[in-house]
Amino acid sequence: MPHEPPRAPQVNRPETHPERRPLDAFYLPPALAAGAETTLQSFGAPPDPIEIRLPVVTAEAIARWIDQLRAAREKHLAKRTTAATVRTLNRVVERFLDPRSKQRTEAIAALSRAGSFSAPMLAQALDDAFQPLARGGLARWLGTELGSTQALDRPVKGPGGARRRAHGPEWMLQIYAGNVPTVPVLPLLSALLLRSALFAKTGAQEPLFAPHLARAIAEIDPDLGACMAIVWWKGGQSELDRVALDRAPAVLAFGGDPAVASIAQIARRDAVVVLQGPKLSVGYIGATALRRGAIRALAARAAHDVALYDQQGCLSPHAYYVERGGMVAPIAFAEALGSALEDASRRLPRRAPSADAASSVQMSRAQAALEAATGRITGVVESKRGTEWTVISEGSARFEPGPRHRVVRVHAVADVEEFARAVAGSERYIEAIAVEERGARRERLIARLSELGVPRITTVGSLQRPTPLGTHGGVPRLLPFVRWTTIESGSAVKPRRAAPKRGAPKRSAPKRSSPNRKPPNRKPPKRRA
Amino acid sequence: MDSGGDFLFDVSPPRWLERFRAQFSSIHPYAAYCRYLGRTPETVTDWREIPAVPASAFKTHDLSAARPGTEVAIFETSGTSVSRPGRVRLGSTAAYEASLLRSFEQHLLPDGARLATVVFGPRRMEAPRSSLWFMVDRVTEAHARTTLYLVRSGEPKWTEADAVLERAEARGEPLLLLGTTLFFMAYFEHLGRGGRTFTLPPGSRAMDTGGAKGTTVEFAREEVEAAFAHRLGIAQSHLVNEYGMAELGSQFYDDNLLAHHEGRPRRGGKAIPPWLRTRVLHPETLEEQPDGERGILVHYDLANVDIPLAVQTEDIGCRVDDRLFLEGRLLGAEARGCSLPFETFLAESGGAS
Repeated sequence: MPHEPPRAPQVNRPETHPERRPLDAFYLPPALAAGAETTLQSFGAPPDPIEIRLPVVTAEAIARWIDQLRAAREKHLAKRTTAATVRTLNRVVERFLDPRSKQRTEAIAALSRAGSFSAPMLAQALDDAFQPLARGGLARWLGTELGSTQALDRPVKGPGGARRRAHGPEWMLQIYAGNVPTVPVLPLLSALLLRSALFAKTGAQEPLFAPHLARAIAEIDPDLGACMAIVWWKGGQSELDRVALDRAPAVLAFGGDPAVASIAQIARRDAVVVLQGPKLSVGYIGATALRRGAIRALAARAAHDVALYDQQGCLSPHAYYVERGGMVAPIAFAEALGSALEDASRRLPRRAPSADAASSVQMSRAQAALEAATGRITGVVESKRGTEWTVISEGSARFEPGPRHRVVRVHAVADVEEFARAVAGSERYIEAIAVEERGARRERLIARLSELGVPRITTVGSLQRPTPLGTHGGVPRLLPFVRWTTIESGSAVKPRRAAPKRGAPKRSAPKRSSPNRKPPNRKPPKRRA
Repeated sequence: MDSGGDFLFDVSPPRWLERFRAQFSSIHPYAAYCRYLGRTPETVTDWREIPAVPASAFKTHDLSAARPGTEVAIFETSGTSVSRPGRVRLGSTAAYEASLLRSFEQHLLPDGARLATVVFGPRRMEAPRSSLWFMVDRVTEAHARTTLYLVRSGEPKWTEADAVLERAEARGEPLLLLGTTLFFMAYFEHLGRGGRTFTLPPGSRAMDTGGAKGTTVEFAREEVEAAFAHRLGIAQSHLVNEYGMAELGSQFYDDNLLAHHEGRPRRGGKAIPPWLRTRVLHPETLEEQPDGERGILVHYDLANVDIPLAVQTEDIGCRVDDRLFLEGRLLGAEARGCSLPFETFLAESGGAS
């Protein structure tokens, strides 16, 4: 009998069902939650969707929440010391790294039930996101970008010796994408570190982790918790976007090209707007790194970067460019990468992809087979079962994003110039290059690759763990949102002494000023630790 | 090789294998692909074993039996900023035309009506590489009493549309409207701005299709149906959605008008013409799915004479008897069917993370 087919993608039914209570896919502090109406919605794919609770978001609610967040910021955050905020956030970081903590176990349980990733993958994601912030990482991040951990507290000595003080925006609007759950970590913390209230919109695919993180912060520190609100509303509801964007003095948004283009159009003219559009990463492996004894370990590191987040993130490599002339040929590297991806499928198992995603993988495999048949490419190795992983070997360089879901190309190249020619014009879509090469050749290679202006160059196997000290998309994480007060200490141009005009009133001569002169009645500034 | 037109409607089992053999010897990259897969005329004994080319291959390979320079039509699939469009070169359009006319007549003109026709789109000569406007050109030439094209020099002529609908309404003359869903919806937005609606005379009907290449705009079917009913007075029974792609000579139609004409309840999904077979493959294992189970759609189309008859699409859907149920993306099907790797990446990517 004719019937309408099921609409949503299928996923594997998990072995066990932990608990069935609805998950809160939002965070509103008590003052904002008081009047908020919520609804229950089915989220995730049949046959095992979960129930999530969402607040009803209206234009009026957004406007009211923003006003309340601004008031809370004035009360709790505007004059708070950075050290106090860092203390709280350090505890939050520790909790997410503690395998026994409620925050970590709940996050993994909820996200593996609802999201696109398996529990081992999520554990790795939390480690990658929080470990660089632990053991003084937050302070190092602040110090690196602002010159001092106290730059927001009082004037401190800046570059060139002038004292200056940093100011964050009153509040920030952050719009997250749903591809990798831990992407909101640094943005969310950056708002609090800058003493900004935060109003955030989550991605539709992943509305759980950012609210979970905000709740973890609020549990430890209700004052910080009072200054954040994180909700989701359906994309394309321009009137809701507009209410938030019309008001926001600072916007940080992640998304596909059409989404970020529309945000750029609507945002206030005087707002600081940082947009992070679609990106991907690649690897470059030099000839001297292709040694027989090292190839398995190298392939394992490359496979780790590919497998993590199933290539959904901008740090996911879509292709490795491998030099000819090494002890191991590029095609042998491709085979080793295939074996390593097979291993990775056990260590970092994927969730079953949607039918659409699997169809794209099958299309790229069929296309690769046709290209291999007609001599355009060297060959394809793929998982024995399903669409688990695919490695496509090509005899020359080109640049084209793959369909994700562990489909990776290995391009044999003559040298770095062949790679540079292939990516010419597309450099802006590359977030990072993972490089493997030895000795002086490595330095020369890195010098050449850095000419491309790609935001990040790292080692194979480290793509997915960016340091907070670096940038995102080439843009620092705090600095774009900071306004500076610079304190000058009177290096004024000495006015030329003119002959007093006859009959003019007598003036005292201006005092000589020295740039280093301290105000007599003020203590010298403390040196930062 | 047969030209297809007259023989199209002989759908006996050997026809698929005959077509495969002919294409194996005349389309060289296809033959190489079949050899690579180990499935050649010597080994293939069942139509299901005929290798299907991925729809994306039309972008990278010349998959045509027509000698370059002898083709009578070249259709392009959508291109992107970094990939060239796919090309479908046809040495003869006889089978293509026979197929498209038969399906169109059955689903839009079951009563044999000969109607004044309004095309919400350009003349074929303004879009010579579009398989959709080729199809519309053939259909109107064969069946339209008069034809008005509302897109000229790339500009929509909304005022003329208003005038022709107003005249038809006043004279009680039913119309046949043909166009892309996107274009119809844009016109309805124009009508909405003026608060304007028409009640077209009984017998008026419309065919809408996802032919707006490169667009990612999608509408819920209910929204489209409601707009046709409200703005033009065309009920669901007289609105027929068509699904086609440049890589297939045949198209798929909704049952609405045919069911109305035959006075029976409407069947779900779209009709699979008898000269086309669709296999539904499990997205992970590529094993054939039973009726009603969803998977990747692979079509085997006897209307494909000069290009491989078996085409693997990226579309997901299921088949129940001779009905095809497509999932999502219906209106962007033409854009989607041939894959938009880079732009899809840009549009769908979750962003830099």
